[in-house]
Amino acid sequence: MQTMNELFQESVERFGSRPAIIDEDRYLTYGEFGEAVNSLASLLAARGVGRGDKVAILLPNSMEFAAAFFASASLGAVSVPVNNLCKEDEIRFYVTDSGAKVLLTDAVLKETAESAASGSGAVVAVIRGEAADWVYLEGQTVNSEPAEVEAGDDAIFLYSTGSTGKPKRVARTHYNLVALAQNHSHTAGFTDRDKVLFVVPLSHTYAFGNFISSVRGGAASIMLEQFNRKRVLDVLEKEAVTIFPAVPVMLDALTGTFTPEEKDLSRLRLVISAGAPLREESFRKFHERFSIYPRQLYGSTETGVISINLAEDIERRPASVGRPVSQVTVKVFGEGGEELKTGAEGELAVRSPSMARGYDGLPDETEKVFRNGYYFTGDLGSIDAEGYIYITGRRKFFINAGGYKVDPAEVENVLLAMPGIAEAAVLGVEDKSGKEHVKAVLVSERPVSAGEVVEHCRGKLADYKIPLSIEFRKELPRSPAGKVLKERLK
Amino acid sequence: MDDVAGRVRKVLGASLPSGVITENIDDEFPLVELGVGIDSVARLELLVALEQEFRMRLDEEEITPLFFESVGNMARHIKFKLGAASA
Repeated sequence: MQTMNELFQESVERFGSRPAIIDEDRYLTYGEFGEAVNSLASLLAARGVGRGDKVAILLPNSMEFAAAFFASASLGAVSVPVNNLCKEDEIRFYVTDSGAKVLLTDAVLKETAESAASGSGAVVAVIRGEAADWVYLEGQTVNSEPAEVEAGDDAIFLYSTGSTGKPKRVARTHYNLVALAQNHSHTAGFTDRDKVLFVVPLSHTYAFGNFISSVRGGAASIMLEQFNRKRVLDVLEKEAVTIFPAVPVMLDALTGTFTPEEKDLSRLRLVISAGAPLREESFRKFHERFSIYPRQLYGSTETGVISINLAEDIERRPASVGRPVSQVTVKVFGEGGEELKTGAEGELAVRSPSMARGYDGLPDETEKVFRNGYYFTGDLGSIDAEGYIYITGRRKFFINAGGYKVDPAEVENVLLAMPGIAEAAVLGVEDKSGKEHVKAVLVSERPVSAGEVVEHCRGKLADYKIPLSIEFRKELPRSPAGKVLKERLK
Repeated sequence: MDDVAGRVRKVLGASLPSGVITENIDDEFPLVELGVGIDSVARLELLVALEQEFRMRLDEEEITPLFFESVGNMARHIKFKLGAASA
Protein backbone atom coordinates (compact mmCIF):
# COMPACT_ATOMS: atom_id res chain seq x y z
CA MET A 1 0.00 0.00 0.00
CA GLN A 2 1.12 3.54 -0.83
CA THR A 3 1.81 6.36 1.61
CA MET A 4 0.02 9.68 1.16
CA ASN A 5 3.25 11.15 -0.18
CA GLU A 6 3.44 8.45 -2.84
CA LEU A 7 -0.21 8.99 -3.75
CA PHE A 8 0.48 12.71 -4.04
CA GLN A 9 3.63 12.29 -6.15
CA GLU A 10 1.73 9.97 -8.47
CA SER A 11 -0.92 12.66 -9.04
CA VAL A 12 1.78 15.30 -9.59
CA GLU A 13 3.34 13.11 -12.27
CA ARG A 14 0.10 12.00 -13.91
CA PHE A 15 -1.69 15.36 -13.88
CA GLY A 16 1.28 17.76 -13.89
CA SER A 17 -0.21 20.37 -16.21
CA ARG A 18 -3.79 20.06 -14.98
CA PRO A 19 -5.20 22.53 -12.41
CA ALA A 20 -4.75 21.35 -8.81
CA ILE A 21 -5.60 24.32 -6.59
CA ILE A 22 -7.60 27.47 -7.26
CA ASP A 23 -7.43 29.87 -4.32
CA GLU A 24 -8.86 33.33 -5.12
CA ASP A 25 -6.63 34.60 -7.95
CA ARG A 26 -4.00 31.86 -7.59
CA TYR A 27 -4.14 28.94 -10.02
CA LEU A 28 -1.66 26.13 -9.40
CA THR A 29 -1.20 23.12 -11.63
CA TYR A 30 -0.36 19.79 -10.05
CA GLY A 31 3.26 20.42 -11.06
CA GLU A 32 3.29 23.82 -9.33
CA PHE A 33 1.44 22.51 -6.31
CA GLY A 34 4.07 19.78 -6.01
CA GLU A 35 6.75 22.46 -5.93
CA ALA A 36 4.81 24.45 -3.33
CA VAL A 37 4.54 21.35 -1.14
CA ASN A 38 8.23 20.66 -1.52
CA SER A 39 9.05 24.25 -0.66
CA LEU A 40 6.89 24.21 2.47
CA ALA A 41 8.38 20.87 3.49
CA SER A 42 11.81 22.50 3.41
CA LEU A 43 10.57 25.18 5.82
CA LEU A 44 9.17 22.53 8.16
CA ALA A 45 12.38 20.51 7.95
CA ALA A 46 14.31 23.67 8.84
CA ARG A 47 12.08 23.99 11.94
CA GLY A 48 13.20 20.50 12.92
CA VAL A 49 10.08 18.62 11.81
CA GLY A 50 10.69 14.98 10.98
CA ARG A 51 9.06 11.58 11.04
CA GLY A 52 6.49 11.24 13.80
CA ASP A 53 6.44 14.94 14.74
CA LYS A 54 3.07 16.64 14.94
CA VAL A 55 2.22 19.70 12.84
CA ALA A 56 -0.91 21.60 13.88
CA ILE A 57 -2.63 23.39 10.99
CA LEU A 58 -4.78 26.36 12.02
CA LEU A 59 -5.78 27.73 8.63
CA PRO A 60 -8.92 28.37 6.62
CA ASN A 61 -9.51 26.46 3.40
CA SER A 62 -6.59 27.58 1.26
CA MET A 63 -3.68 26.48 -0.87
CA GLU A 64 -1.56 26.75 2.27
CA PHE A 65 -3.76 24.32 4.20
CA ALA A 66 -3.55 21.82 1.35
CA ALA A 67 0.22 22.27 1.04
CA ALA A 68 0.69 21.97 4.82
CA PHE A 69 -0.91 18.55 4.89
CA PHE A 70 1.10 17.09 2.01
CA ALA A 71 4.34 18.79 3.15
CA SER A 72 3.94 17.22 6.60
CA ALA A 73 3.13 13.84 5.05
CA SER A 74 6.26 13.98 2.88
CA LEU A 75 8.37 14.35 6.03
CA GLY A 76 6.56 11.56 7.83
CA ALA A 77 5.02 14.12 10.20
CA VAL A 78 1.46 13.92 11.49
CA SER A 79 -0.97 16.72 10.56
CA VAL A 80 -3.32 18.03 13.23
CA PRO A 81 -5.97 20.19 11.52
CA VAL A 82 -7.64 22.70 13.82
CA ASN A 83 -10.85 24.48 12.81
CA ASN A 84 -10.04 28.16 12.34
CA LEU A 85 -13.30 29.05 14.13
CA CYS A 86 -11.85 27.66 17.37
CA LYS A 87 -11.06 30.03 20.21
CA GLU A 88 -7.79 30.26 22.10
CA ASP A 89 -8.61 27.72 24.83
CA GLU A 90 -9.80 25.20 22.26
CA ILE A 91 -6.69 25.68 20.11
CA ARG A 92 -4.51 25.26 23.22
CA PHE A 93 -6.17 21.93 23.89
CA TYR A 94 -5.45 20.60 20.39
CA VAL A 95 -1.84 21.83 20.39
CA THR A 96 -1.15 20.41 23.84
CA ASP A 97 -3.03 17.16 23.46
CA SER A 98 -1.36 16.34 20.15
CA GLY A 99 2.09 17.42 21.33
CA ALA A 100 2.46 19.62 18.24
CA LYS A 101 5.99 20.75 17.44
CA VAL A 102 4.89 23.45 15.01
CA LEU A 103 1.64 25.38 14.68
CA LEU A 104 1.06 26.66 11.14
CA THR A 105 -1.33 29.59 10.81
CA ASP A 106 -2.08 32.81 8.95
CA ALA A 107 -1.55 36.49 9.70
CA VAL A 108 -5.12 36.92 10.96
CA LEU A 109 -4.85 34.17 13.58
CA LYS A 110 -1.19 34.74 14.48
CA GLU A 111 -1.74 36.44 17.85
CA THR A 112 -4.34 33.90 18.97
CA ALA A 113 -2.10 31.07 17.81
CA GLU A 114 0.89 32.45 19.73
CA SER A 115 -1.13 32.83 22.92
CA ALA A 116 -2.61 29.34 22.51
CA ALA A 117 0.80 27.75 21.86
CA SER A 118 2.52 29.64 24.66
CA GLY A 119 4.15 27.21 27.08
CA SER A 120 3.30 24.18 24.95
CA GLY A 121 6.66 23.97 23.22
CA ALA A 122 5.09 24.45 19.79
CA VAL A 123 6.63 27.02 17.46
CA VAL A 124 4.20 29.21 15.50
CA ALA A 125 4.92 29.76 11.81
CA VAL A 126 2.80 32.08 9.66
CA ILE A 127 2.45 30.71 6.14
CA ARG A 128 -0.42 32.80 4.76
CA GLY A 129 -1.07 36.53 4.66
CA GLU A 130 1.14 39.48 5.49
CA ALA A 131 4.65 39.03 6.88
CA ALA A 132 4.47 35.27 6.40
CA ASP A 133 7.44 33.05 7.25
CA TRP A 134 6.81 31.20 4.00
CA VAL A 135 5.59 32.48 0.67
CA TYR A 136 4.97 30.05 -2.13
CA LEU A 137 7.91 29.91 -4.54
CA GLU A 138 9.51 33.04 -3.20
CA GLY A 139 12.61 32.75 -1.08
CA GLN A 140 12.55 29.08 -0.15
CA THR A 141 14.10 27.12 -2.97
CA VAL A 142 15.76 24.43 -0.88
CA ASN A 143 14.36 21.06 -1.79
CA SER A 144 13.49 18.71 0.99
CA GLU A 145 14.05 15.00 0.72
CA PRO A 146 11.00 12.85 1.41
CA ALA A 147 11.48 10.89 4.61
CA GLU A 148 11.25 7.12 4.97
CA VAL A 149 7.58 6.65 5.76
CA GLU A 150 5.66 3.42 6.28
CA ALA A 151 2.01 2.98 5.29
CA GLY A 152 1.29 2.10 8.92
CA ASP A 153 2.65 5.41 10.23
CA ASP A 154 0.16 7.97 11.54
CA ALA A 155 -0.62 10.65 8.95
CA ILE A 156 -3.28 12.73 10.62
CA PHE A 157 -4.93 13.32 13.99
CA LEU A 158 -8.58 14.30 13.78
CA TYR A 159 -10.73 14.90 16.83
CA SER A 160 -14.11 13.32 17.41
CA THR A 161 -16.85 14.95 19.44
CA GLY A 162 -17.83 12.73 22.32
CA SER A 163 -19.66 12.98 25.57
CA THR A 164 -16.59 13.14 27.74
CA GLY A 165 -16.21 16.93 27.84
CA LYS A 166 -13.10 16.87 25.65
CA PRO A 167 -12.68 15.84 22.00
CA LYS A 168 -11.22 12.37 21.47
CA ARG A 169 -8.07 12.01 19.36
CA VAL A 170 -8.47 9.78 16.32
CA ALA A 171 -5.24 8.75 14.59
CA ARG A 172 -5.47 7.74 10.94
CA THR A 173 -2.51 6.18 9.18
CA HIS A 174 -1.21 6.65 5.65
CA TYR A 175 -2.78 3.29 4.85
CA ASN A 176 -6.17 4.52 6.14
CA LEU A 177 -6.07 7.75 4.15
CA VAL A 178 -4.85 6.17 0.91
CA ALA A 179 -7.66 3.61 1.19
CA LEU A 180 -10.17 6.40 1.78
CA ALA A 181 -8.95 8.42 -1.22
CA GLN A 182 -8.94 5.37 -3.47
CA ASN A 183 -12.32 4.04 -2.42
CA HIS A 184 -14.22 7.33 -2.41
CA SER A 185 -12.68 8.70 -5.63
CA HIS A 186 -13.41 5.36 -7.30
CA THR A 187 -17.04 5.29 -6.12
CA ALA A 188 -17.87 8.96 -6.75
CA GLY A 189 -15.76 9.10 -9.90
CA PHE A 190 -13.42 12.05 -9.27
CA THR A 191 -11.40 12.73 -12.45
CA ASP A 192 -9.04 15.37 -13.80
CA ARG A 193 -12.04 16.94 -15.57
CA ASP A 194 -13.67 17.76 -12.24
CA LYS A 195 -13.57 20.99 -10.30
CA VAL A 196 -14.50 20.57 -6.65
CA LEU A 197 -15.57 23.54 -4.53
CA PHE A 198 -14.37 23.36 -0.92
CA VAL A 199 -16.27 25.70 1.35
CA VAL A 200 -16.93 23.13 4.09
CA PRO A 201 -13.85 23.26 6.35
CA LEU A 202 -10.92 21.07 5.31
CA SER A 203 -10.11 20.64 9.00
CA HIS A 204 -13.18 18.39 9.22
CA THR A 205 -13.17 14.75 8.14
CA TYR A 206 -15.93 15.30 5.53
CA ALA A 207 -14.15 17.94 3.47
CA PHE A 208 -10.75 16.42 4.10
CA GLY A 209 -11.87 13.03 2.76
CA ASN A 210 -13.26 14.66 -0.36
CA PHE A 211 -10.10 16.73 -0.77
CA ILE A 212 -7.69 13.80 -0.76
CA SER A 213 -10.09 11.95 -3.08
CA SER A 214 -9.95 14.93 -5.45
CA VAL A 215 -6.17 14.83 -5.42
CA ARG A 216 -6.23 11.08 -6.04
CA GLY A 217 -8.52 11.59 -9.05
CA GLY A 218 -6.59 14.58 -10.43
CA ALA A 219 -9.47 17.04 -9.89
CA ALA A 220 -9.01 20.76 -9.27
CA SER A 221 -9.78 21.90 -5.72
CA ILE A 222 -11.26 25.38 -5.42
CA MET A 223 -10.70 26.87 -1.97
CA LEU A 224 -13.10 29.28 -0.28
CA GLU A 225 -12.34 30.55 3.22
CA GLN A 226 -15.95 30.90 4.30
CA PHE A 227 -19.49 30.37 3.14
CA ASN A 228 -20.80 33.49 1.48
CA ARG A 229 -23.84 32.84 -0.70
CA LYS A 230 -23.05 35.39 -3.40
CA ARG A 231 -19.44 34.23 -3.61
CA VAL A 232 -20.39 30.54 -3.68
CA LEU A 233 -22.97 31.05 -6.43
CA ASP A 234 -20.54 33.19 -8.44
CA VAL A 235 -17.77 30.58 -8.12
CA LEU A 236 -20.09 27.68 -8.95
CA GLU A 237 -21.02 29.45 -12.17
CA LYS A 238 -17.75 31.17 -13.16
CA GLU A 239 -15.49 28.20 -12.47
CA ALA A 240 -17.98 25.69 -13.89
CA VAL A 241 -17.74 23.63 -10.70
CA THR A 242 -18.71 19.97 -11.16
CA ILE A 243 -18.66 18.65 -7.56
CA PHE A 244 -19.88 20.56 -4.51
CA PRO A 245 -19.65 19.04 -1.03
CA ALA A 246 -21.99 20.98 1.27
CA VAL A 247 -24.00 20.72 4.46
CA PRO A 248 -27.82 21.02 4.48
CA VAL A 249 -27.84 24.52 5.94
CA MET A 250 -25.75 25.73 2.98
CA LEU A 251 -28.07 24.08 0.48
CA ASP A 252 -31.11 25.68 2.17
CA ALA A 253 -29.40 29.07 2.17
CA LEU A 254 -28.54 28.84 -1.52
CA THR A 255 -32.06 27.70 -2.38
CA GLY A 256 -33.56 30.65 -0.53
CA THR A 257 -31.12 33.29 -1.72
CA PHE A 258 -32.68 36.14 -3.62
CA THR A 259 -30.89 36.76 -6.91
CA PRO A 260 -32.08 39.12 -9.66
CA GLU A 261 -31.19 36.51 -12.28
CA GLU A 262 -30.62 32.77 -12.18
CA LYS A 263 -27.10 31.34 -12.13
CA ASP A 264 -26.02 28.78 -14.69
CA LEU A 265 -24.97 25.79 -12.62
CA SER A 266 -25.43 23.30 -15.44
CA ARG A 267 -21.90 21.93 -15.06
CA LEU A 268 -22.61 20.67 -11.53
CA ARG A 269 -22.84 16.89 -11.68
CA LEU A 270 -22.59 15.98 -8.00
CA VAL A 271 -23.88 17.97 -5.03
CA ILE A 272 -23.05 16.17 -1.81
CA SER A 273 -24.85 16.73 1.48
CA ALA A 274 -23.42 15.50 4.78
CA GLY A 275 -22.94 16.55 8.38
CA ALA A 276 -26.64 16.51 9.24
CA PRO A 277 -29.76 14.84 7.84
CA LEU A 278 -31.05 16.39 4.61
CA ARG A 279 -34.77 17.03 4.85
CA GLU A 280 -36.85 15.93 1.87
CA GLU A 281 -38.16 19.48 1.50
CA SER A 282 -34.57 20.76 1.18
CA PHE A 283 -33.78 18.00 -1.33
CA ARG A 284 -36.75 18.89 -3.54
CA LYS A 285 -36.46 22.68 -3.29
CA PHE A 286 -32.75 22.61 -4.19
CA HIS A 287 -33.65 20.61 -7.28
CA GLU A 288 -36.48 22.99 -8.18
CA ARG A 289 -34.10 25.92 -8.05
CA PHE A 290 -30.90 24.44 -9.51
CA SER A 291 -32.09 21.33 -11.44
CA ILE A 292 -29.85 18.92 -9.56
CA TYR A 293 -30.63 16.69 -6.60
CA PRO A 294 -28.27 16.78 -3.60
CA ARG A 295 -26.99 13.34 -2.65
CA GLN A 296 -26.43 12.34 0.94
CA LEU A 297 -23.05 11.07 2.09
CA TYR A 298 -22.44 9.30 5.36
CA GLY A 299 -19.11 9.36 7.14
CA SER A 300 -17.43 9.78 10.48
CA THR A 301 -14.17 10.99 11.91
CA GLU A 302 -13.41 7.43 12.99
CA THR A 303 -13.93 5.86 9.55
CA GLY A 304 -13.87 8.52 6.84
CA VAL A 305 -16.44 8.16 4.05
CA ILE A 306 -18.83 5.27 4.63
CA SER A 307 -21.50 5.59 1.93
CA ILE A 308 -22.98 7.91 -0.69
CA ASN A 309 -26.35 7.89 -2.39
CA LEU A 310 -25.60 7.71 -6.11
CA ALA A 311 -28.93 6.02 -6.95
CA GLU A 312 -30.18 6.68 -10.48
CA ASP A 313 -33.70 6.79 -9.07
CA ILE A 314 -32.73 9.25 -6.35
CA GLU A 315 -36.28 10.73 -6.33
CA ARG A 316 -37.49 7.45 -4.83
CA ARG A 317 -34.98 7.38 -1.99
CA PRO A 318 -33.82 10.88 -1.06
CA ALA A 319 -33.63 9.98 2.62
CA SER A 320 -31.02 7.29 2.10
CA VAL A 321 -27.33 7.94 2.69
CA GLY A 322 -26.70 5.42 -0.08
CA ARG A 323 -24.70 2.27 -0.38
CA PRO A 324 -21.25 1.72 1.12
CA VAL A 325 -18.34 3.03 -0.96
CA SER A 326 -15.88 0.55 -2.40
CA GLN A 327 -14.22 -1.81 0.15
CA VAL A 328 -16.51 -0.70 2.98
CA THR A 329 -18.97 -2.98 4.78
CA VAL A 330 -21.91 -1.77 6.85
CA LYS A 331 -24.00 -4.02 9.07
CA VAL A 332 -26.85 -3.51 11.51
CA PHE A 333 -26.62 -4.98 14.99
CA GLY A 334 -29.27 -5.40 17.68
CA GLU A 335 -29.06 -4.53 21.37
CA GLY A 336 -27.71 -7.96 22.18
CA GLY A 337 -24.94 -7.73 19.62
CA GLU A 338 -26.71 -9.96 17.07
CA GLU A 339 -26.61 -9.07 13.38
CA LEU A 340 -30.06 -7.96 12.21
CA LYS A 341 -31.88 -8.89 9.03
CA THR A 342 -32.59 -6.67 6.06
CA GLY A 343 -34.84 -3.76 6.93
CA ALA A 344 -34.59 -4.16 10.71
CA GLU A 345 -33.52 -1.15 12.74
CA GLY A 346 -30.47 -1.32 14.96
CA GLU A 347 -27.04 0.22 15.42
CA LEU A 348 -25.00 0.75 12.26
CA ALA A 349 -21.49 -0.69 12.39
CA VAL A 350 -18.75 -0.18 9.82
CA ARG A 351 -15.74 -2.17 8.72
CA SER A 352 -13.44 -0.17 6.49
CA PRO A 353 -9.76 -0.07 5.52
CA SER A 354 -9.84 3.66 6.24
CA MET A 355 -11.04 3.36 9.84
CA ALA A 356 -8.91 4.30 12.81
CA ARG A 357 -7.64 1.78 15.35
CA GLY A 358 -9.34 3.62 18.19
CA TYR A 359 -9.08 6.69 20.41
CA ASP A 360 -5.55 7.47 21.45
CA GLY A 361 -5.01 7.15 25.17
CA LEU A 362 -8.65 6.22 25.82
CA PRO A 363 -8.78 2.39 25.98
CA ASP A 364 -12.18 2.29 27.67
CA GLU A 365 -13.79 4.60 25.14
CA THR A 366 -12.14 2.61 22.35
CA GLU A 367 -13.38 -0.72 23.67
CA LYS A 368 -16.94 0.57 23.75
CA VAL A 369 -17.16 1.31 20.03
CA PHE A 370 -14.34 -0.57 18.25
CA ARG A 371 -15.37 -4.21 18.55
CA ASN A 372 -14.79 -7.35 16.48
CA GLY A 373 -13.25 -5.42 13.59
CA TYR A 374 -16.19 -3.01 13.39
CA TYR A 375 -16.67 0.57 14.44
CA PHE A 376 -20.05 0.94 16.12
CA THR A 377 -21.21 4.35 14.95
CA GLY A 378 -23.83 5.10 17.60
CA ASP A 379 -26.20 5.85 14.71
CA LEU A 380 -29.45 3.90 14.50
CA GLY A 381 -30.65 2.80 11.10
CA SER A 382 -31.48 0.05 8.67
CA ILE A 383 -30.38 -1.32 5.31
CA ASP A 384 -32.97 -2.19 2.64
CA ALA A 385 -32.95 -5.14 0.25
CA GLU A 386 -31.01 -3.16 -2.35
CA GLY A 387 -28.31 -2.24 0.14
CA TYR A 388 -29.37 1.38 0.73
CA ILE A 389 -28.68 2.66 4.24
CA TYR A 390 -31.18 4.77 6.17
CA ILE A 391 -30.27 6.59 9.38
CA THR A 392 -33.18 6.93 11.77
CA GLY A 393 -31.67 8.23 14.98
CA ARG A 394 -28.60 8.24 17.14
CA ARG A 395 -27.51 6.67 20.35
CA LYS A 396 -24.60 9.00 21.03
CA PHE A 397 -25.38 12.16 22.89
CA PHE A 398 -24.16 15.20 21.03
CA ILE A 399 -25.83 18.19 19.43
CA ASN A 400 -25.67 18.65 15.67
CA ALA A 401 -25.57 22.43 15.14
CA GLY A 402 -25.70 23.01 11.40
CA GLY A 403 -23.36 20.10 10.75
CA TYR A 404 -20.96 20.83 13.59
CA LYS A 405 -21.05 18.31 16.43
CA VAL A 406 -21.20 19.85 19.88
CA ASP A 407 -20.40 17.95 23.08
CA PRO A 408 -22.87 19.18 25.77
CA ALA A 409 -20.39 18.38 28.53
CA GLU A 410 -17.79 20.71 27.02
CA VAL A 411 -20.29 23.60 26.97
CA GLU A 412 -21.51 22.77 30.49
CA ASN A 413 -17.93 22.92 31.80
CA VAL A 414 -17.49 26.42 30.36
CA LEU A 415 -20.85 27.57 31.78
CA LEU A 416 -20.08 26.16 35.24
CA ALA A 417 -16.84 28.14 35.29
CA MET A 418 -18.87 31.38 35.11
CA PRO A 419 -19.22 33.14 38.47
CA GLY A 420 -22.80 32.96 39.71
CA ILE A 421 -23.73 29.80 37.80
CA ALA A 422 -24.46 26.92 40.16
CA GLU A 423 -25.80 24.30 37.76
CA ALA A 424 -25.86 23.92 33.99
CA ALA A 425 -27.47 21.47 31.59
CA VAL A 426 -26.87 21.74 27.85
CA LEU A 427 -29.01 19.98 25.30
CA GLY A 428 -30.13 20.15 21.68
CA VAL A 429 -33.52 21.58 20.82
CA GLU A 430 -35.16 21.68 17.43
CA ASP A 431 -36.51 24.87 15.92
CA LYS A 432 -39.71 25.06 13.88
CA SER A 433 -37.96 23.72 10.78
CA GLY A 434 -36.50 20.74 12.63
CA LYS A 435 -32.93 22.03 12.88
CA GLU A 436 -31.03 21.55 16.09
CA HIS A 437 -29.70 24.36 18.27
CA VAL A 438 -27.71 24.45 21.49
CA LYS A 439 -29.83 25.24 24.55
CA ALA A 440 -28.59 25.87 28.08
CA VAL A 441 -30.70 25.58 31.20
CA LEU A 442 -29.02 27.29 34.13
CA VAL A 443 -29.46 27.65 37.86
CA SER A 444 -27.85 30.86 39.04
CA GLU A 445 -26.89 31.99 42.53
CA ARG A 446 -27.49 35.66 41.66
CA PRO A 447 -29.23 37.51 38.82
CA VAL A 448 -27.38 36.79 35.56
CA SER A 449 -28.58 37.84 32.10
CA ALA A 450 -28.48 35.73 28.95
CA GLY A 451 -26.26 38.40 27.40
CA GLU A 452 -23.71 37.98 30.20
CA VAL A 453 -23.73 34.23 29.66
CA VAL A 454 -23.07 34.71 25.94
CA GLU A 455 -20.25 37.15 26.68
CA HIS A 456 -18.72 34.64 29.10
CA CYS A 457 -18.75 31.96 26.39
CA ARG A 458 -17.25 34.15 23.69
CA GLY A 459 -13.51 33.59 23.49
CA LYS A 460 -13.84 30.22 25.22
CA LEU A 461 -16.07 28.37 22.78
CA ALA A 462 -16.37 28.46 19.00
CA ASP A 463 -19.48 30.46 18.08
CA TYR A 464 -21.47 27.42 16.97
CA LYS A 465 -21.13 25.92 20.48
CA ILE A 466 -22.54 28.98 22.28
CA PRO A 467 -26.15 28.42 23.40
CA LEU A 468 -28.68 30.20 21.20
CA SER A 469 -31.37 29.60 23.77
CA ILE A 470 -30.79 30.20 27.50
CA GLU A 471 -33.31 29.44 30.21
CA PHE A 472 -33.00 30.03 33.93
CA ARG A 473 -34.66 27.72 36.45
CA LYS A 474 -34.68 27.42 40.22
CA GLU A 475 -33.46 23.84 39.97
CA LEU A 476 -32.78 21.14 37.39
CA PRO A 477 -35.00 18.05 37.25
CA ARG A 478 -33.01 15.04 38.44
CA SER A 479 -33.50 11.31 38.73
CA PRO A 480 -33.33 9.68 42.20
CA ALA A 481 -29.70 8.92 41.36
CA GLY A 482 -29.03 12.61 40.77
CA LYS A 483 -28.76 12.46 36.97
CA VAL A 484 -30.15 15.52 35.18
CA LEU A 485 -33.27 14.56 33.21
CA LYS A 486 -32.56 16.46 30.03
CA GLU A 487 -35.62 15.18 28.21
CA ARG A 488 -37.70 17.27 30.61
CA LEU A 489 -35.80 20.42 29.66
CA LYS A 490 -36.65 20.40 25.96
CA MET B 1 -46.70 50.10 13.89
CA ASP B 2 -43.64 50.54 11.73
CA ASP B 3 -44.36 48.08 8.96
CA VAL B 4 -40.75 47.15 8.23
CA ALA B 5 -39.95 46.58 11.91
CA GLY B 6 -43.15 44.55 12.24
CA ARG B 7 -42.18 42.34 9.33
CA VAL B 8 -38.67 41.92 10.79
CA ARG B 9 -40.29 40.77 14.06
CA LYS B 10 -42.40 38.26 12.17
CA VAL B 11 -39.33 36.83 10.39
CA LEU B 12 -37.41 36.78 13.65
CA GLY B 13 -40.24 34.93 15.38
CA ALA B 14 -40.18 32.23 12.72
CA SER B 15 -36.41 31.80 12.92
CA LEU B 16 -36.02 31.52 16.69
CA PRO B 17 -36.41 28.33 18.70
CA SER B 18 -40.01 27.55 19.57
CA GLY B 19 -41.60 29.41 22.42
CA VAL B 20 -40.05 32.84 21.87
CA ILE B 21 -42.66 35.54 21.23
CA THR B 22 -41.21 38.41 19.25
CA GLU B 23 -44.32 40.55 18.67
CA ASN B 24 -43.79 42.65 21.76
CA ILE B 25 -40.04 43.04 21.48
CA ASP B 26 -39.00 46.66 21.62
CA ASP B 27 -37.10 47.99 18.59
CA GLU B 28 -33.96 48.48 20.67
CA PHE B 29 -34.18 45.32 22.82
CA PRO B 30 -30.74 43.64 22.73
CA LEU B 31 -31.39 40.55 20.65
CA VAL B 32 -28.29 38.81 21.98
CA GLU B 33 -30.49 38.00 24.98
CA LEU B 34 -32.46 35.75 22.60
CA GLY B 35 -29.36 34.24 21.06
CA VAL B 36 -29.65 36.25 17.85
CA GLY B 37 -26.44 36.99 15.94
CA ILE B 38 -24.17 34.64 17.89
CA ASP B 39 -23.70 31.85 15.48
CA SER B 40 -22.94 32.13 11.77
CA VAL B 41 -25.46 29.49 10.75
CA ALA B 42 -28.32 31.22 12.54
CA ARG B 43 -27.21 34.59 11.13
CA LEU B 44 -27.25 33.13 7.63
CA GLU B 45 -30.71 31.62 8.08
CA LEU B 46 -32.07 34.93 9.34
CA LEU B 47 -30.58 36.80 6.36
CA VAL B 48 -32.14 34.35 3.90
CA ALA B 49 -35.51 34.67 5.61
CA LEU B 50 -35.30 38.49 5.53
CA GLU B 51 -34.36 38.38 1.83
CA GLN B 52 -37.41 36.32 1.09
CA GLU B 53 -39.68 38.57 3.14
CA PHE B 54 -38.46 41.80 1.56
CA ARG B 55 -37.53 40.43 -1.89
CA MET B 56 -34.15 42.08 -1.70
CA ARG B 57 -30.57 40.98 -1.60
CA LEU B 58 -28.69 41.23 1.72
CA ASP B 59 -25.13 40.19 1.02
CA GLU B 60 -22.99 38.90 3.86
CA GLU B 61 -20.33 41.53 3.06
CA GLU B 62 -22.67 44.45 3.71
CA ILE B 63 -23.96 43.11 7.02
CA THR B 64 -22.04 43.99 10.19
CA PRO B 65 -22.57 42.50 13.67
CA LEU B 66 -24.51 45.70 14.51
CA PHE B 67 -27.26 44.62 12.11
CA PHE B 68 -28.21 41.70 14.34
CA GLU B 69 -28.19 43.66 17.61
CA SER B 70 -31.79 44.86 17.47
CA VAL B 71 -34.99 44.85 15.43
CA GLY B 72 -34.46 48.59 14.96
CA ASN B 73 -31.02 48.13 13.41
CA MET B 74 -32.32 45.51 10.98
CA ALA B 75 -35.34 47.64 10.06
CA ARG B 76 -33.21 50.76 9.53
CA HIS B 77 -30.82 48.93 7.21
CA ILE B 78 -33.66 47.37 5.23
CA LYS B 79 -35.52 50.68 4.95
CA PHE B 80 -32.32 52.34 3.74
CA LYS B 81 -31.94 49.68 1.06
CA LEU B 82 -35.60 49.83 0.09
CA GLY B 83 -35.26 53.61 -0.22
CA ALA B 84 -32.10 53.29 -2.28
CA ALA B 85 -33.80 50.80 -4.59
CA SER B 86 -36.81 53.02 -5.18
CA ALA B 87 -34.84 56.29 -5.49
